[in-house]
Amino acid sequence: MTKVIAITGKGGTGKTAVAALMIRYLSKKGKFLLAVDADADTNLPETLGCENVKTVGDAKESLQVEIKKPRPDNPDMNKESILKSKVYEIIEEMPGYDLLVMGRPEGTGCYCYVNNLLRGIMDKLIVNYDIVVIDAEAGLEHFSRKILRDIDDLIVVTDASRRGFQTAERIRELVSELDSNVGRIHVIANKVTDANRQEIVKLAGDLKLNLIGVIPLDPKIEEMDIKGIPLFEIPDDSVAAVEIEKIVQKLGL
Amino acid sequence: MADFPFEISPMFEGERVRKEGMFVELGGPKSLGLELVRAADMDAIVDDQVTIVGPDLKDMEEGKTYPWAMIFNIGGELVEADLESVVERRVHDFINYCQGIMHLNQRYDVWMRVSKDTAGKMDSFEPFGRAVMMLFKTELPFIEKMQVTFYTEQAEVEKQMTEAKEIFKARDARTKDLHDEDVDVFYGCTLCQSFAPTNVCVVSPDRVSLCGAINWFDGRAAAKVDPEGPQFEIAKGELLDAVTGEYTGVNDIAKKLSAGEFDKIKLHSFFDSPHTSCGCFEVVGFYIPEVDGIGWVNREYQGMSPNGIGFSTMAGQTGGGKQIVGFLGIGVNYFYSPKFIQADGGWNRVVWLPSILKEKIDETIPADIKDKIATENDATDIASLKAFLEAKNHPVVATWVAAEEEEEEEEEEEEVAVAASPMMMPAAGFQMPAMPMMSGGSGGGIKLTFKNAKITIDKMIISQKKEKK
Repeated sequence: MTKVIAITGKGGTGKTAVAALMIRYLSKKGKFLLAVDADADTNLPETLGCENVKTVGDAKESLQVEIKKPRPDNPDMNKESILKSKVYEIIEEMPGYDLLVMGRPEGTGCYCYVNNLLRGIMDKLIVNYDIVVIDAEAGLEHFSRKILRDIDDLIVVTDASRRGFQTAERIRELVSELDSNVGRIHVIANKVTDANRQEIVKLAGDLKLNLIGVIPLDPKIEEMDIKGIPLFEIPDDSVAAVEIEKIVQKLGL
Repeated sequence: MADFPFEISPMFEGERVRKEGMFVELGGPKSLGLELVRAADMDAIVDDQVTIVGPDLKDMEEGKTYPWAMIFNIGGELVEADLESVVERRVHDFINYCQGIMHLNQRYDVWMRVSKDTAGKMDSFEPFGRAVMMLFKTELPFIEKMQVTFYTEQAEVEKQMTEAKEIFKARDARTKDLHDEDVDVFYGCTLCQSFAPTNVCVVSPDRVSLCGAINWFDGRAAAKVDPEGPQFEIAKGELLDAVTGEYTGVNDIAKKLSAGEFDKIKLHSFFDSPHTSCGCFEVVGFYIPEVDGIGWVNREYQGMSPNGIGFSTMAGQTGGGKQIVGFLGIGVNYFYSPKFIQADGGWNRVVWLPSILKEKIDETIPADIKDKIATENDATDIASLKAFLEAKNHPVVATWVAAEEEEEEEEEEEEVAVAASPMMMPAAGFQMPAMPMMSGGSGGGIKLTFKNAKITIDKMIISQKKEKK
């Protein structure tokens, strides 16, 4: 069975970095892995060292244009097969894992039909992999639209701020309203220093949030960020990479 | 099941053969890929025969991409040329049932991959060809005999491609010519019922879905694969009226899907029992009583219509899966239907279109009416629209003259009309166009539905119109 891990959180907490590190570790472990960027505002592909990728949004749009032609060239075309082909074509085949970028939001008009096709395609695609890691925006839109359905582990990344934890609480509420099944919800505290570590652990406890990992502020990440080096190339012994390894083990992946 | 070197199951349908696990790639973005199904005489087919022209699997180099064409011939008592496309749509499914073989796209864009695992179990495409034909004959029993030829040589694939493109062209011309009267079933779609619970979307060869995304062929394909899914068959039943497009089968499904809200839907009618409007429609039509004509506004047009309302307001009023007399949601493609609102005058009733829409559908507007239809550049309110139509002598102008002649004789009825008009105002705000005026006194009449209405009337006079001399 495919395990689906979604990583979300407030902007700026470093959730994309966490997702990238997790993808890096899992792909090195030899798992059959699909990475999904489901947040149009972030840059998972660049963080992984992959540029100019095409998106599912583009694929959807080009199908939408084709089927909305007043006089289609071939009224009998198999739209499901065409959309599936487009999605399979844009999957970026990286060493050790595949990458799929959901991309831009929808334009005007009705996407019911195209989304319905996409649901079926995503269901079939996902079973190809041992693990799917999704970098999701905090509103979880792709889940509320059921383009992506069930999540085994939802991980909310927060920084050391109270607002980060509040977002975590809100996401927990949001999840209860989703039609999707969500197995477990965890919290990772990121960019933690020795000065605020204790307080964070206490805050998580007060809010009854399941704190699965505490990632220290890693100077290596900041350094790579400034130099524009993809996080994928972080050394194994950097503090963040070590902590991610522990988290993955706790998740039983 | 006969013995094949690989497993066969619908379970493998979405299987992705990754670059790292791939033995060879056939067709696809970097090469040529073709598939074609052709009906042939029974005598011309050697059943189960697989012919390979060009290098076979064992002669291929790992990691390489090869051009690819596959031509299937089918025969059987019931096999005819019209079935070729139905059979061809299934090529994608059946090839994907084969473990370790990925098939994408269709026609002249085919893209396949064979996994290392599966390539390791066979030296030739021969068992693969036999497996696919076995699936076809099992699932589509009208196919009695079948043979296939695989081409893997550039020149040969190119040649097949050129010929196939001509065949596709001829086939498309035929499908474009398919009409309501040529088929026995229409298709329904319930995708929009999630937000418009009484919406009944009926898709026929001459009527695309309101969202524009589903045509009759899509309905047919989806209903065949998953009859319990959101798209399903509607048996046409008996034809009640060819002009309005009324069928017993459609009326039955209208009753059922709307939970009794409507008992009739006439496919090509604007006023009487029109198609319901979901909310997804690409274009909304609106009756303009002052000129007895119909205007249309599309989602992309941001301005106002001559009646002072824009698309979004009209969409709000029209949507929700109701039959709203005076408004009608449609897909853009419906303008191309030869039966376009033919119950109510068709193109001769169209008086206004936004210029972007008029341009987009230019080729389908009959030449004799094109210049008589106003856009926002010609008319922005009722007065200027009236003047424009009069100056161009639009066909609706003739009905005005007839109506004026009647006016005098109708004077005594006016009292009733005035007293009744407040009841026709919907509670939700703007003025709804009045019911169509029946010019000439004939015609089908109107139906008024009141819900939760409280009506107090002191006096009501209903009188028959006097016959004109």
